[in-house]
Amino acid sequence: MTAWPKPALVVLVAACHGAPVEPCPSPRAAGIAAQQAAPVARPSPFDSVFAAAGAEFHVPPALLAGVGWAETRWQMVQGAEEFPGRPAAFGVMALRGAALERGASLAGVTPEEARRDAVANIRAAAAVLDAYASEAGAARERIEQWSAVIARYGEIGIPAAQAAYLGQVDRGVALAGGRPGLAVGSAAQAACPSPDTAALDYPQAIWRPSPNFDQRPTDATGALHMVIIHTCESNYAGCWSWLVNSVSQASAHYVVDEDGAEVSQLVRERDRAWHIAALYDCTLNRRHDCWRNDVQSNDFTVGIEHAGFASQASFPAAQLDRSAALVCDVTRDRGIPRDWQHIVGHGQLQPANRTDPGPNWPWIAYLHRVQAWCGEVIVDDSAQFNDAAVATVSVPATWTATDTTPDYYGGGYRWAPTQPAATDAAVFSFLVTAAGSRTLDARWTSGTNRSPQAKYAVITSAGVTLATVAVDQRIGGGSWHALGTWTLPAGWNRVALLRRDASGAVVVADAVRVRE
Amino acid sequence: MTPRVVRPGILVVSTLIACHRDQPRQADPSGAALSLAAAPQDTAFPGTTAPIHRARPIRPGVPPALLRAVETSSGPGYDRVVFEFASDSVPGYHVAYMTAPVRRCGSGNPVALAGAGRLVVRFEPARAHDERGNPSPAERERATGLPALKDIKLVCDFEGQVEWALGVAAAAPYRVSETTAPARLVVDIRRRP
Repeated sequence: MTAWPKPALVVLVAACHGAPVEPCPSPRAAGIAAQQAAPVARPSPFDSVFAAAGAEFHVPPALLAGVGWAETRWQMVQGAEEFPGRPAAFGVMALRGAALERGASLAGVTPEEARRDAVANIRAAAAVLDAYASEAGAARERIEQWSAVIARYGEIGIPAAQAAYLGQVDRGVALAGGRPGLAVGSAAQAACPSPDTAALDYPQAIWRPSPNFDQRPTDATGALHMVIIHTCESNYAGCWSWLVNSVSQASAHYVVDEDGAEVSQLVRERDRAWHIAALYDCTLNRRHDCWRNDVQSNDFTVGIEHAGFASQASFPAAQLDRSAALVCDVTRDRGIPRDWQHIVGHGQLQPANRTDPGPNWPWIAYLHRVQAWCGEVIVDDSAQFNDAAVATVSVPATWTATDTTPDYYGGGYRWAPTQPAATDAAVFSFLVTAAGSRTLDARWTSGTNRSPQAKYAVITSAGVTLATVAVDQRIGGGSWHALGTWTLPAGWNRVALLRRDASGAVVVADAVRVRE
Repeated sequence: MTPRVVRPGILVVSTLIACHRDQPRQADPSGAALSLAAAPQDTAFPGTTAPIHRARPIRPGVPPALLRAVETSSGPGYDRVVFEFASDSVPGYHVAYMTAPVRRCGSGNPVALAGAGRLVVRFEPARAHDERGNPSPAERERATGLPALKDIKLVCDFEGQVEWALGVAAAAPYRVSETTAPARLVVDIRRRP
């Protein structure tokens, strides 16, 4: 083995224990995130049982509720043995194996009752925790003294996963109205995962480095260009813990948990994570960037996993919102456009054997959230791609809808020939809630028949035309071009693309972007 | 509760040891006995070289079926792979010969296999690791060296799909059969006469 230079070791240890900038955030941040995300207590179906069993066995009722939440989300489960040596779990408290037998005995119920009956199950779990606490000599009035007891109850050997489990119980404790503190107490036990403080591209993430990555190509094919949305087909802890295991031979850059309370970063964005097997095929992606065909899709993408299943009927709003904030961060840092060609589902690019994130991922609303996090509103030429609360469009029927030239925003674009007397402009309207400065951009698709001087009129909610800006639509298709920056009043302001000009060219109405 | 109860810490350690084993293990004779009991004897089945597909419903919140064991063996006129699951029944599966290179589902990197044919067996919803991240089975590839079945490699254990690539001597006819209790999928590859 190579010898570590001594100073590096010293820095690492110092960083782990209370440096001003937290470079080793995993368990501590997990605890903090849990506290911040769960300030509002909510009743469980078993509150009275937790209270009674807690009093009987000298275990804080909120802690019982926390364990129940972490294990089963307060549901009665009937387990099946899933792995040799890992007995099936039962009841609200997911009691299993020897712990179930012991708890049942201590609580004076049969093992069968402890499996099937919620009260017996919770009492048996409380009795086991009581016994563990006595054996550990825990000072029961202090929540952090319970960390080792709860860790033993969870039967998890890997320190990082143990800390994550305690973070989950903490969250359950907070939901039950208690004061969490288990994960914070365990922070010192967990190894500092990485001395590389520059690893985190998304500062709010917990750094859980995966060995499953390699280098992106150094030529144009390796430039970061797309975000791929996945679902794990499992829960959060099961997802990231598998993807940091070298045996899995798979990874993602990020994993977002079910509640939007936590994001893990497993691979640096500059590195090539292993989340999508498909070679790129532009026919699966609105014929965008066909020059990338047959490039391995990991080469140029950032992969984001979401705890959950492609078969879900819906996704939690908080998870979608956290994911959208993350995607805003990635796309802003990497200069990736926020549209449906650049933020894409795994199943879309790999239809042969993947469907994730599934038919119920709310693609349009999700993109609107991403855009909102990045302070932009986009008005498309088709209403279905607009957030009607802030963006509406009016395109007269004299304009033709098509998707012939790729790299449009939304599902296509409209075009119309220029005419000297035309008055039927395409109008993109957007709501400004408080008067202020806005930068407006336009997007079109290019072609030799396009107008070299397509005119965009900027019109306030009061009907005042602030400017008319001419652009050359023969070039620059598929990307945003600034029209200018204006101070706009509150209300529905608008940008009108005019047809009126000498005949012989076409103007393309695709989309308008409003930036704060 | 049962004699098989193992403390998870110990389980992790033993798994890690298993992971670091560099040499693929040969087929276990007891595994051969196990798999031969799972399907009727047949020395000259017609089989097929076409894909065989069987979908199962995927329900959210229900954990994917856990692969418990993979055994390879040699029968009269064919070589056999048995995939055994810890669930009540076999998950959905898709079996097909591939002409394109086999790729790992995460990295997309090509996987080299012995033999001239590549038979891919994909399960869904399934996983080959438990919720604690322990691989199951720990052995992820095996050079069998059998007449028809040259080697097998796990090429995917990601997002609810488990995929094994079978390197076979030639793209010969194969058949599949299912059993329950235990839940097994048996794949037989016919030998060249």
